[in-house]
Order: sequence, then structure tokens, then C-alpha cells
Amino acid sequence: MHAERRWAALILLALAGLALVPLAVRRDDTLNLIFLILLSVTLAQSWNIIAGYAGQVNLGHAAFFGLGALVTRTLWIGGTPVLVAMLAGAFVAMVFALAIGVAAFRLRGAYFAIGTLALGEILRITTGNIFSEISTLPAATIAAYRLTLRYYLGLGLAALAVVVGATLATSRLGLGITAIREDEDAAEASGVNALGLKLTALAAATVLAALAGGLFAYYHISYYPQHPFSPHWTFDALLITNIGGVGTLHGPVLGAVFYVLLKEYLANRWVDLHLLIFGVFFIVIVLLLPGGLVEAGERVRRLLRSRLRR
Amino acid sequence: MLLEILGLDAAYGDVPALSGVALSVEPGEIVALLGPNGAGKTTLLNSVAGLLPPRAGIIRWEGEDLGRLPSHLIVERGLALVPEGRRLFNSMTVEENLTLGAFAERARRGQQANLQRVYTLFPILRERRRQIVRQLSGGQQQMVSVGRALMSSPRLLMLDEPSLGLAPLMVQAILDVLVEINRGGVAVLLVEQNVRAALTLARRAYILETGRIVGEGGGAELLQDPHVRRAYLGPLAAPEYFVL
Amino acid sequence: MILSQQMVLGVMIGGLYGLAAVGLSLIFGVLKVLNVAHGELIMLGGYGAYWLFVLLGLDPFASLLLVLPLSLLLGLGLYWALFGFVVRADEETRIKNSLLIGFGLSLALHALAVRLWTADERGITTPYAGKVLIVGQLAIPLVRLASLAVAFVLIAALHLLLTRWRWGRAVRATAEDWQAALLAGIDVRRAYLLAFGLGAGLAGAAGTLVSVGYSISPSIGLEWTLKALIVVVLAGLGSVFGTFVGGLFLGVAEAASAAAFGGPYREVVGLVIIFAVLVARPRGLFGAR
Repeated sequence: MHAERRWAALILLALAGLALVPLAVRRDDTLNLIFLILLSVTLAQSWNIIAGYAGQVNLGHAAFFGLGALVTRTLWIGGTPVLVAMLAGAFVAMVFALAIGVAAFRLRGAYFAIGTLALGEILRITTGNIFSEISTLPAATIAAYRLTLRYYLGLGLAALAVVVGATLATSRLGLGITAIREDEDAAEASGVNALGLKLTALAAATVLAALAGGLFAYYHISYYPQHPFSPHWTFDALLITNIGGVGTLHGPVLGAVFYVLLKEYLANRWVDLHLLIFGVFFIVIVLLLPGGLVEAGERVRRLLRSRLRR
Repeated sequence: MLLEILGLDAAYGDVPALSGVALSVEPGEIVALLGPNGAGKTTLLNSVAGLLPPRAGIIRWEGEDLGRLPSHLIVERGLALVPEGRRLFNSMTVEENLTLGAFAERARRGQQANLQRVYTLFPILRERRRQIVRQLSGGQQQMVSVGRALMSSPRLLMLDEPSLGLAPLMVQAILDVLVEINRGGVAVLLVEQNVRAALTLARRAYILETGRIVGEGGGAELLQDPHVRRAYLGPLAAPEYFVL
Repeated sequence: MILSQQMVLGVMIGGLYGLAAVGLSLIFGVLKVLNVAHGELIMLGGYGAYWLFVLLGLDPFASLLLVLPLSLLLGLGLYWALFGFVVRADEETRIKNSLLIGFGLSLALHALAVRLWTADERGITTPYAGKVLIVGQLAIPLVRLASLAVAFVLIAALHLLLTRWRWGRAVRATAEDWQAALLAGIDVRRAYLLAFGLGAGLAGAAGTLVSVGYSISPSIGLEWTLKALIVVVLAGLGSVFGTFVGGLFLGVAEAASAAAFGGPYREVVGLVIIFAVLVARPRGLFGAR
């Protein structure tokens, strides 16, 4: 419990440090890279809440990201202030998730994964059919585009994700969710309202994912409206969280930094192979190091401590 | 000694189930294992059958330490378990279930002979051999379960509560078959709630309570033992007993 | 295109959906493992047939004799290296880990395919590719009809294997109750290995048929995994012919929805159906587990 709080404080401190970066660095590509990491942190944390805390593998997470993006983009281009648009996107996604959630959470294991995957794809295809044209910002908006604004918004969102994650982990709510993850039937038997807690976790996760989607819509100049619904976003979140350490607070953060930086590096050298490498790396992690980088870190620390003791 | 168990400890995760259990079965014997619910009788049989690896102790079969041998290899050595609750392959026919019981190498040559023997022991199964087992009655399913274990040509047959949920007439039929099987040279280790029936059948019996062996003796003498009578045969005991 | 024509085309691709699903269903039913890289195995089978055709001039229907055993071997390898470790855990952890591993595998295989063969779409055009059977108002492409027939034959062969072959029955027994199977003397690990290999072999065969009647690219993996999943949810586990019929049903449903709502919604109908099915019956339409 206190480990989560310590990590949360550490991460928030790091984020505060990052806030100073735009003052020192003028280069756009550095800011873009950090922005990408921040967006990934938010998205991964949101997936982590459902998977790591509630113990279910959600393969349709991109649906919330996409809904947030869709609503935000539509409202914002129509003239609504972006923050309001993002909140609206979060609200719509949350309502949708809760409506589906009651049904979806009756599914367990494999069927939950299949059901969420189907849902995500339904939304993607339908959006692609209804909004088939590429969405481009009007010229005036492009002219007024300021990267630093997006950057700070990304920072704020990542901080929010960390705070939400930490709160969930350390509260009574968090304990209940952990109990469900360990053994849902036993938890129910001891009075935990499993469905209620799962829905709360779902709401939190959805809001974060949708806000991230809204940020995506605010950040990109042009993209196809179905793109944010693509399963690639789910897969990214899944990869990052598991490589970093599912179920922990700092895992998704570590994973996001690792993933984005490594991807940048690999994309420059071996263009297509970065996914192959990540895929293999991911399999190795699932089989040998399910706790991801966090677990690796713990093992190293324990090893060092036992060495030092001699 | 056919089966020899020494100092057996077993556990489910952190929950201990058996502690220092010692038990033996001689060739051709019928041995009963009695005890209240939750005593660990099923755990003991599962451990011997290789479904649950022991935490400590030795399980010796015909002089060989079974160690952590997987179940299918234990069957290969002549030790068969009729599990609690029958555990049949419900979508398959009686005959398919039985022939699957002869899957082990040791049983393949004698498969046809064993099948005929099972049908002789349980004539009704010959009638219903092409029926899907799901459609059979509880007693008939139990017959299939026993038959399936017999198909592996075992030298020791272990049964976990074969009478559970069966009508008294059915139970009698199963027990009669056990005597018949035993007469053919197969040793029997029988876990039974029906204490009186088990003790009348068995030459020897063990009593297991909360994971430990608390009593051992000849079937007849245990029937007269006051503790046993009070705990398992008295008016407060489970009402499944009947007068043979 | 008239409705009956679309329906006929739907039936023909439905046969391939069924074949794809049977492989997945076998693995899921026996090992309780969901291999979400199943579509990538189909994709690889398709490329196998494609390159055998382009480099050696081997007719795709003949190359089935090579692709099927090779895919089977690939399946054995994948079980030995990856999924064999997953089956050691209890069912819930098993599903979760298999989902994750399958996902990593699909990523890796997809990237590898793009690297090796580029992202372009390819198809096999045999000399007889354009031949069409005219029945009344319907024009039935011969190649697709042959593919449907082959799919059916393969499924019938699997059915025979599972009912007449000793190890086939062992596989079915393991699917029903692996502990009872162990007690009957069945080496359950070997049954798992066999089931995985057979499932992968069927996937490879499906891929071959896809490459000759339709087209393949590295990205068809996810699409076909979804199709297979849809059919498995619809038809449930346990009946090989039932799964085949489920595939036909999906093909026809897609054709009907394309006719009714237009082409772009063809893909959605299957997904909506299974989502509805899962909501109504969280264990699948016929699932008893």
C-alpha cells in the first residue's frame, strides 16, 4: 500500500520535472516524444485498472479511446472549448461502458476477451462506415497550433492517471478489487459487491482512456476517424502494461518509457522489425517474468541486497 | 506388500490435508478406509493415483517408489482409481468409456477379454453399451466407472465412495461385484461412507480423521470397537448404513 | 448481384470460416487455451501455398499435402515451445496467459510476414481460376466450390480421426475431463500436443484454400481469428460438424447483411451476433462448461 503512495509521489515529482522541459528545450521532436510517452502512460494505466486490478483481459479498450477521440474532435472542431469537449467525450465513453459493462462483466475469461474484442471492432467498423472521410483541422486552427499546450495537457492527464491509479490501489475500493481479482466467488461470499466494484473500476478506466482519446484528437492535425478505434491502441496498452508490470502503479509508467523509447530507436534502425522484437520480448515476459520490468527490478534489488549482506 | 505408504504428507496450497499417513495393502486384500467428511480420504487416494503430488513421505508400489510419477504411468503399473463422482466421459457411449479405460499399454492386449469380463460382471452394461452415458442412471454410471477402471487390468483397485447417491439395492450390487473382482485376485482399497457395509467386506480397515490415521484393525473387530460404533455406527452417525 | 448469388458465395466462404473455426475449437476445447494467433497460422498457410505455387508451380490443391503436415509440425513446435508451459496452470490463469502469449505471437508473426513478403495482397491465380459453373441464374466459381468441398472433406476426416482413432478418442476424453483421462491411462500432455498440432494443421489448410479462392496479406490474421472466434461462440465446442455448419451460417449471414445494409456492414453482422449471444448466454450458444 505505502509502496504505491511512494511510487505515486515519485512519478508525480518526475512529471513536475518534465513540466520544466519546454522552457529549456525548443526542439519539437523531443516534446513530441515525451508527449507520446505521456499519452501511452495514460492509456496503459487505464487498461491496467481493468486488467491489473480487476484481473480481466480487455481486448476492446480502443473503443473508449476511440469514443473519446470521436466526441472530442467533433465538438472541438464545431467550436466547443477543447477541455469541455474532452470531458464530454469522457462522459459519453463512460455511459457507454457502464451500459455495456453490466452485460460484459457476466462474461468470464476467454468470453470476456472475445466479447470486448468484438465490441471494439464493431465500433471501429461502424465509425469507419459513418465517418469515412479523413478528419483535418481547419487552416486557422493549424496556424494557431501550439505544441506546448498539448504537452502540458498530456502531463496533466498522466498525473491524473497516476493519482487515480494510486487512489484505486490504496483505498478500500482497491482492496475490494484485489479481492475480486484473487477469487471473485470468495470475495462475493464475504460481502464484496463484485459487480459494483468492477463497474467503478471500469468507469475510472474508461474516463482515463477517453480523455487520452480526446487528447489524441486535440494533438493530431489529421487522421481517419476510425483510427483511434483500431485494436493497435489496445495492443499498445496491453504490451506496455505487461512489459512494465501489470497490476502495479509504476509498471505502466516504466513500460511506457521503455516501449516508446525502444520503438523510436528500433524504428530508426530496423523499420518493420520493432513489432517482431516486442512480440517475442512480450512472450518471454509472459512465460518467464510475468511481473515485467517491475519484477525484474525487484529481483535485481534482492540479488544486490543478498550480495551486500555477505 | 502391494502398496505401502509411509509418512505421507499432502496439502492443497497452504492448507494441510494429510499428515504422517501410513497404510498398506497386501496382494488380494480388501482394505477399507473410513472416516468423517473432510478427513482426507479422497486426498489420500488422489495422492496415490498421482493426481496430487505429496509434500513428504513415500508411496511404494510393488517395491517401487512412485515419487512424482504422473497418473497415467501409475495406471500403467497396475494401480487404478475409481474417482469420486464417477467422472465419466459424458458425451461418449458406455463402450467408448470402457475401451478408453484400456488405453494403457498393459491393458491393450487383453482389451477384448476385459470388456467381456466387465459385461459379465455388469450385464446391464452389455445391453446399454451403445448408449451415451449421460442417459444412464446413477447406479449404471457407477458401474461404467468401475468397469472403466477394471479395463486397465489393475492389481489394486481403489474406489472413492462408490455408493454415494445410490439406492441401497444398487449399492449392494456394486459391493457384490467388488467381492467378485477380489476373488479374481484384484486387491481393493475402498473408501466408503457406508461404514457397516465396508467393514463387512474388508479384511482390514483404517480410520482417517483430520488427515491422520487414528485407528487400524481387522474389519470384524472394528465393527465391535466402541469408538467406531459411537462415531460411525451410532444413532448420531450418518444414516446411510443398513443391515446386510 | 442477385440475392441467391450472394448467398451461394456466402456459403462457399462460410465453409472456410468453418474450417478455420474447427481448428481453433479443437485447441480451445481440449487445452482450454485460446490461441488468438490462429489467424496468423492461417495466414502462414496461405503464404506457404502461395510460394509453393510461385516458386515450384505446385497447384495449391496439391500443395495442401505439403502445407497441412508442415502446419501441423509448426503447431507441435508452438506447443512445445510456448503453449505447453501455459497448460500447467489452472484454467483461469491458462486462459489469461494463452491470450497474452497468442497476442505476442500474432504480433511477431505479422511483423515477420510484413518483413519477409511486404504488406501487399497476394492471391494464387491458377490456369483454371476463371472457370465458372452455371446453374440456372447462378455463376459458381469452380475454385471456390472446390475449396468448399475440400474444407468439408478435411472436417469429415477430422471427425473420423476423433471417433475411430484411439488417440482421437483420447483427445476427446481429455477435452471432457482431463483428470479422468489421466486415470484411464491417457498421457494428457500428448493429447494436448496432438490437439494443438491438428488445430494448426487445419489452420494451415484453411490458409491454402484462402490463398487460392480469395487473397492473402500479412494483415488477414486478425480478421480470420475473429471469424473463427465468432463461429466458435455461435456453434459452441464439441461438435466438429456443428462448427462447420456454424461457419456456413456466418457466411450466409454476412451475405444477407451485405445485401440488406450494403457492403461495409458485412463485417459487423457476425460481431454483433456474437456480442448479442454472449450477453444473452455468457457461456456461448451451446456451451455447457
